[in-house]
Amino acid sequence: MPSEKKSGYRKNFSLILTFISLMLVLFVLSLLLAYRFSTKFIENEFVSEKVNVLEQSIEPYNDFFQKKLPEVSYYNGYLDSATASRFVDTVLLEYPFVSKVIFYDSEVRNTPVSDGLNTGKFSFGPKSIYQFGSFVPQDSVELFTIANTHNFVVGDDFNALAIKLASYIASLDTSSTPAQDELFSNFSNVRSNKITYLNIPRIEDLKTYKRMMRKDLKPQPVYQQDMLSFHLDPYKIKITNTRPRLYQYIKIEPLTYDPLDTSSSYFTTEITLPGPFSDYKLYFISSRSFVDKEILSYFWPIALAILVFYSIVVLVAFLIYRNLNINQKMFKLQYDFMNNLTHEFKTPVSVIKIAGNNIRSATGLTDRELKLYGKILDEEADKLNGLMNKLLAFTQIENKAIQLNRDQINMEDFIESTVESHTLKHPDFKFSYEVSGFNSFITDPVLLGSLFDNLVENAYKYSPADRKNLHISARLIKGKVVFRFTDQGIGIPASEINNIFKKFFRIQNQYNQNGSVGLGLAFCKELVNFMNGEITVKSKVNKGTEFKIVLPYTD
Amino acid sequence: MTAYKKYIFLFLLSFVFACSQKQGVRIMPIDDFFKSQDRTAYRISPDGKNLSYLRKEGKNQNLYVELIESGKGKRITELKEKNIIFYFWVSDTELVYYKETDPVHRLADIFIINKEGENERQLTNNEKSSIRVLQDQLIDDKFLLVSSNKRDSTVFDVYRLNVRNGAMDMAAKNPGNITDWITDSEGKLRLATTSDGVNSTLLYRERESLPFRPIMTNNFKTTLRPIAFSHIKSNVIFAISDVNRDKAALVEIDCSTGKEIKVLYGNDTINVTDAQYSRKKQRMSFVVYETWKKEKHYLDDSIKLLYNNLDKLLPKTETRIIDRDKAENVYLVRTFTDRNPGSYYLYFAEKQEIRKLSDFNSAIKEAEMCEMKPVSYTTRDSITIQGYLTLPLNKNPENLPVVVLPHNGPVGRDFWGYNPEVQFLANRGYAVFQVNYRGSSGYGKAFVASGFKQWNCKVQQDIQDGVKWLIAKKIADPKRIAIYGKGFGGFIALNGISSGKGMYVCAASNSGVINLFTYLKSVPPYMKPNLQMFYEVIGNPLTDVDRMRQSSPLFQANNINSPVLIAQNIKDPNINSGETIQFVKNLQKRNVKVTYLETDGDTFYSKNDDSRQKFYLALAEFLEVNLKKK
Repeated sequence: MPSEKKSGYRKNFSLILTFISLMLVLFVLSLLLAYRFSTKFIENEFVSEKVNVLEQSIEPYNDFFQKKLPEVSYYNGYLDSATASRFVDTVLLEYPFVSKVIFYDSEVRNTPVSDGLNTGKFSFGPKSIYQFGSFVPQDSVELFTIANTHNFVVGDDFNALAIKLASYIASLDTSSTPAQDELFSNFSNVRSNKITYLNIPRIEDLKTYKRMMRKDLKPQPVYQQDMLSFHLDPYKIKITNTRPRLYQYIKIEPLTYDPLDTSSSYFTTEITLPGPFSDYKLYFISSRSFVDKEILSYFWPIALAILVFYSIVVLVAFLIYRNLNINQKMFKLQYDFMNNLTHEFKTPVSVIKIAGNNIRSATGLTDRELKLYGKILDEEADKLNGLMNKLLAFTQIENKAIQLNRDQINMEDFIESTVESHTLKHPDFKFSYEVSGFNSFITDPVLLGSLFDNLVENAYKYSPADRKNLHISARLIKGKVVFRFTDQGIGIPASEINNIFKKFFRIQNQYNQNGSVGLGLAFCKELVNFMNGEITVKSKVNKGTEFKIVLPYTD
Repeated sequence: MTAYKKYIFLFLLSFVFACSQKQGVRIMPIDDFFKSQDRTAYRISPDGKNLSYLRKEGKNQNLYVELIESGKGKRITELKEKNIIFYFWVSDTELVYYKETDPVHRLADIFIINKEGENERQLTNNEKSSIRVLQDQLIDDKFLLVSSNKRDSTVFDVYRLNVRNGAMDMAAKNPGNITDWITDSEGKLRLATTSDGVNSTLLYRERESLPFRPIMTNNFKTTLRPIAFSHIKSNVIFAISDVNRDKAALVEIDCSTGKEIKVLYGNDTINVTDAQYSRKKQRMSFVVYETWKKEKHYLDDSIKLLYNNLDKLLPKTETRIIDRDKAENVYLVRTFTDRNPGSYYLYFAEKQEIRKLSDFNSAIKEAEMCEMKPVSYTTRDSITIQGYLTLPLNKNPENLPVVVLPHNGPVGRDFWGYNPEVQFLANRGYAVFQVNYRGSSGYGKAFVASGFKQWNCKVQQDIQDGVKWLIAKKIADPKRIAIYGKGFGGFIALNGISSGKGMYVCAASNSGVINLFTYLKSVPPYMKPNLQMFYEVIGNPLTDVDRMRQSSPLFQANNINSPVLIAQNIKDPNINSGETIQFVKNLQKRNVKVTYLETDGDTFYSKNDDSRQKFYLALAEFLEVNLKKK
């Protein structure tokens, strides 16, 4: 451990811990913030969305006001009780908030009327009054006729609009054409829960009305006017809840409605209705738990997004950590390699140095000594040379710097010669082999030889002294050449089996204390790859290892 | 050398192509169709020595008098931006003209002037009343017999208007229900008609000193139009009458008994619409009856000779005599055909000579105009309907885009002759289909009456049957049929699109009636006696409410789904412009494509070039978009 610190290694554990805890704190913090934001947002929505509810709910009324009311004018005063009744029926059916309609079949004339309005010589009074509605009994439809006038009161809607009409006509500028909106506002009267509308006559008729104020026209003109007074029931307005998950209840209440028992467990808001309904308001109420549900449903997607974001950040951090780890291992492997290589070179060099020293310091060498030293020098030089060749070849193969030769080889002869050369070196090595399915195939004999040498050497090296056996089989299976090298050696632990083909990797044990750089199997794998084949391994500790090489078969 | 030949050949070839391209139809500018010449309203003085006319110079229109013999003319009025709406000779040397003061209400001041442009005097200065001339010749060299509603805007009294000092003396007071006054050949008031709105009664007196007494009462569906008093028997009148018959005929009526003496001309198949009486010869000259065009039947051989001579001098054209001098020697003639608005000529009967005065519209080349063919078809209820079909020039009469052009109403008809609107549409490549649907005049009184209150029913069906007939004949492309009309024509067009079940791809309405209730309201006060008649033709607003509502496009906005063009004159006092705007708004709310156009529509044709140009440009574009790009 101390040696590692000196060599520049740092432990990441505390850093990692700090990082993870900071990330956690940030994550929780952002979730909290998101929740706070959702709460505020939904609470704001609760207040602002009421405008949309109002707009949607009041739309039928606007339609009634802008489209249906002017239809009274289409009849140009020709409405009678039967037609008016039918017209009202369509209104009642289409607009449920209209509860009752009073129809004043009236006349503008030059002679004074007893009920209605007389101003100057202009008189405006009803001929008859009818009421229509779902709850009007059949016998009380007719309210007023010339013969039966007792139902007409001075404060009636009729007089209110008649006065408006009279003052408008008195101030009418006959030289210009009045605008439509000006006419509309002067021929209608909007009061609490009531709209009174008088059919708008032609401009020419209005000019005549104006003349009628000042003088008697001849012949006595009589103009028909229809006035309709619509009684409205605000409670019949159909509320359209555009946000059913925000507003639990929406009610229409009088403007003064303000219940005492609205505790803090309820959210409430309100908005005043327009026009004739202005004494009423829309009252919105939701329980806290109801709003909380909406807040949560708004919060969840945000929380999920935050979670995904942090997951990605953590994943990236983990990947960086893993890469750093791998790089560290690689560095360690290279360091080991340097150690081994130095050691590998040191042994022959020191042997050569001792031999040289002995030769120099000896006064006379016997023939036997001379031969011995010569042999030692030769062998050690060979060893160095072999070591260097191996390094060189490996680099070449790795960089694909060599050419693949293609020669026909006889399989049995090839194995025979390999076995022969190794039994020469190691007389205690016992071989057996079999070839089936083919006799010969085309490949690079040098590379194949190198492959065989490495595997045979390994089998020898990693076998205990009493079990130095190797079985080589060569078979043709499904158009491919399959070699198997089965030994009874020490085997490879399962945890290491994935690493044995890596460069500079060695399993630390008693069998490779000298003369191994961890290149052999990596070299084999490069060779097989170069020959377009595959190499795999199966192994059991203390039972043996089997290498399997699959090469393409070309005849 | 061969190279040269090649070039010459190519050159010639290009010429051939250029010529063949000319065979296509030239798209004429809109104005060319509607242009009227600068000289209009020709008149001849009673002595046949002077010719008068109105001449337009820029915005000013003035009265000119020209010596027929020498052709020398001079301007006699000095009007600035005021129109003369009507004028006539009252003697050999004097003319009376109406200067327009209020075009919308058709009000005018009346002036008298002599032919040298001197002694101009204003005769009336009526702000609100209108004056009609009963007898256009001066009595005792100073009195003009006129009727006026100055006492009461709803009734017309008869006055003797002194042209020397402008004084008006009442000649006969209207008891309240007289709608028309008729003078005899001496200018004596001896006939009158009264009306209670539906029925009209003919009143007669032998002398002006005697009271009128009723001799005959007829429903308004019946025509009885006095033409002239007979010179021979003072109690006999010539009249066009369809009393007790479907088609009108020229008859003699004994006014002392009120009985019809005899039929001068007429039968069960033809409808007499006009007749002319010659004061000089003291006998009826000819009657005019309508088939697909106006025809004459001569009752006087010398008149027949006169017209035959005229036909020889002006072949292959219709001729109408507009005016003549007292001696019936100098005639003012207007010619026309369906492809030519025609020209004005002077015809000297004794010398058998003609002199051309001017073309009506020199921008029109007959070869570029399209033929207006009379057509007829049978409806689903087996009634024969007449109409006209104008096919575009140089096109196969197959699968054509069609514009259906229903005429204005309530009673009226399409005539054969030059129609600028028809020619304009045909020039743009559309077949134009005009229908004298049920209720149109000129086909007998039963035919007129059968159209009453049938606005969105039989009338619409007649037009639809006509379109189906055109489709069956493979002339019309069923996917490219538009309908366009003015006034009641616009009303029919808009109803056609709301009830036509996709027969028309678009509809255009110019000043169209969109609400029958408003139409009834617009009947002016002096027409109030006729209101009951309108109720019978249009509908009674009290008893026919449902029918009227269903027939009024304003109430049917929810059934309109195809593009519409709506033009209206918002200054027109007879309409309720707010209704049209409301109608357009209702359509827009339903996402119907609406082209809305406000014209400052002047009631006068030639004065309103800009407004007319704007409207017809919009119409052409609207039809182009909806009919051609399919």
